[in-house]
Amino acid sequence: MAEILQYVHKDAFLHRLNPYTKIFFIVLVTIMAIIATDIPFLILMVIALLAFAAYGRVLSESLNQLKLILVMSVLFILITILTMPNGETLGYLIPKIIPLIGGSVPITTGGLMIGIVLTLRFMILIFAFQLFLISTQPRDIVHAMEKIRIPIDYILMFIIALRFIPTLQIEGQRIHEAQLARGFNPGTGVLGKVKSVSPIIIPLVSNALLRSNVLGLTIDMRGYRTGKRTHVRERNFEKRDYAVMTVLTIVGCGFVALVITRMI
Amino acid sequence: MIELTDVSYTYPHTVHPALHRVSLNLEKGRCIMVTGPSGAGKTSLCLAACGILHHEYGGKKEGTVIVDNRNVTEYASLSDLAQNVGIVFDDPEAQMIFTTVEEELLSALEHRGLSAEVIEERLDGIIRTTYLDKLRDRSPHHLSGGQKQRVALAATLALGNDILILDEPTSELDEHATERIAEILTDLKNQGKTILLIEHKYRHFEGIVDSLVILENGAITASGIPGEVLKDARIRGMIFPDFSTIHKSHPKLSGSEPVISVQNLTHSYEDVPALSGINLTIRRGEFVAIVGENGSGKTTLVKHFNRLLSPTSGDVIINGKNTRECSIAELAHDVGLVFQNPDHMFFADTVREEIAYGVDNLGIKNRDAVIEAALRDADLSETAAMYPRWLSRGERQRLAIACVVAMQPGIIVLDEPTTGLDGYEALLVIGMLKNLQEKGHTIIIITHNQEIAQHCADRVIMMENGHIISDSGAA
Repeated sequence: MAEILQYVHKDAFLHRLNPYTKIFFIVLVTIMAIIATDIPFLILMVIALLAFAAYGRVLSESLNQLKLILVMSVLFILITILTMPNGETLGYLIPKIIPLIGGSVPITTGGLMIGIVLTLRFMILIFAFQLFLISTQPRDIVHAMEKIRIPIDYILMFIIALRFIPTLQIEGQRIHEAQLARGFNPGTGVLGKVKSVSPIIIPLVSNALLRSNVLGLTIDMRGYRTGKRTHVRERNFEKRDYAVMTVLTIVGCGFVALVITRMI
Repeated sequence: MIELTDVSYTYPHTVHPALHRVSLNLEKGRCIMVTGPSGAGKTSLCLAACGILHHEYGGKKEGTVIVDNRNVTEYASLSDLAQNVGIVFDDPEAQMIFTTVEEELLSALEHRGLSAEVIEERLDGIIRTTYLDKLRDRSPHHLSGGQKQRVALAATLALGNDILILDEPTSELDEHATERIAEILTDLKNQGKTILLIEHKYRHFEGIVDSLVILENGAITASGIPGEVLKDARIRGMIFPDFSTIHKSHPKLSGSEPVISVQNLTHSYEDVPALSGINLTIRRGEFVAIVGENGSGKTTLVKHFNRLLSPTSGDVIINGKNTRECSIAELAHDVGLVFQNPDHMFFADTVREEIAYGVDNLGIKNRDAVIEAALRDADLSETAAMYPRWLSRGERQRLAIACVVAMQPGIIVLDEPTTGLDGYEALLVIGMLKNLQEKGHTIIIITHNQEIAQHCADRVIMMENGHIISDSGAA
């Protein structure tokens, strides 16, 4: 099963980077993606991220997210077409041939553009965060966040939220199987998918609640809130970190220059 | 090291006390084993003994709990208690927080105020003693239940505390792996650790148990030197269930037709082979036990019987139908599968509705009569209006079986139906299965329990690494 947003143990370039380098990377990419509106520039960013993923040997994990991104992009574009008609009309969502309601939802260049920009932005954010999470052990994230003085409870909340994703995935699958074995026939297609979700939610949530109780106790009993911590296997700032930081800074400056000159 | 005096406890929003005047004295370097039926309050006792009840739970508490010469209420917090006591909870999955086994153990080691060198040294030591070398870089989520239990134990050992509380640490382990845990505990005891062990498998831990405590309905009904406690025939029956009393029926199998026929079955998860070259015929009315170590492919095999898994190659024929050509819903008429953990399947508001779910899905006639009969057979008539998750583990297991039985499949498959049950509850479950066999059902169970396999099954199939290595009923 493809796991969403989970650390994958490898010894590759991204994994060897210091968590701070990667946090800096995410912050920069996020800011750039939010400010930029130029479609070719955003596409360039996506390609750069994928190249970065390939260099860090996590390309296939990144591409696993494509399905989710595809669904999302269809939704975004649909919503912007519906809500932000602007510019030239390219056609109609409901063809003109249909009587009465035909030709009522215009597809405009403006709506389409905004939809595409939104999709690209989210794509960039998802890829960037995934690169970070795939290549950074939660323990290192805890350390890094703790050093910048984020309260331990918030850090643990973040870590546990991430940690529950695969548990819920696996558990959901098991519950679904148990129900199929009891003759549950949700049917096929979209309707079947929707139907099959509702009976899973109750056992999923009640199991997760029970589990989170034990999980919380486990964290306490491991002394996570004692505040004292020995730092083992810390990643130092190394040459590669300085190199990446330099590249990122140059990219950042270049971006600022582009924004100021209104190129993008 | 741990002393409970007249401890009573009632959970919030409940009436009956989970613990009733429990007194227990665990001295340094000793090992007490607590056993009893499911729902007797064993887990509550664990929570009380390490101070969690007093620090984290509401509800009514009486009596005193002393840990390492201090009343638990005097400890500032759980983190403070965690400096003295290590506990392994009964749900291994919930104790896997990080992304590799090594990280999991480091997370426990980091908060002990040790130097980095000592931590590395201890990490290696613990990995060696708990045989986790090969799993070091694996993700805990991808381990089997038994492996997870070993990691949870290792993470608690990593704390290096002198007091260990273990809540059913071997429930999902096979015989061999249980032996390993017993060896680890023997070593720990020899090192002077104090151990409170909740277990059903007394036989494996005989060598280290100094005192045996029987907990029933929240109260201690017997305690003392194991030899003395076991003189009571009733307690002996609870700890050493006598499966030989279950009479073996001798169905006339030679003439009966095959209901399951597996031909050259192979199955791979992604690229990892889980089953290879399985050939197997099971006839109507047989009682088959499938045994084998954790990860030998038992569950993978039975999931093919109702098409939760499809063969990578080869065929599975159920009642003359090739599973490739049937839907899971169709096969539910022929094969009922009871999963290992009953909690995965309960979602209705009452026990009765829970049983009705499958019955309605299949559109079975005489709905109400069928449901009543299933309730009666599982001895659950009195709890029919209760919320399924409030039942004891033994009752939940029987409910899971009742849910499947009510759907009237000819073949009933059960994955580890006696896990976590005491002797009497296990006997009850096996008795229920024997009755079903007599009514003409074909029963297939996966079990780690050698005695059940020997005494109750007509045929024992042993698996190893995805192969069948022996089959007592092979023609």
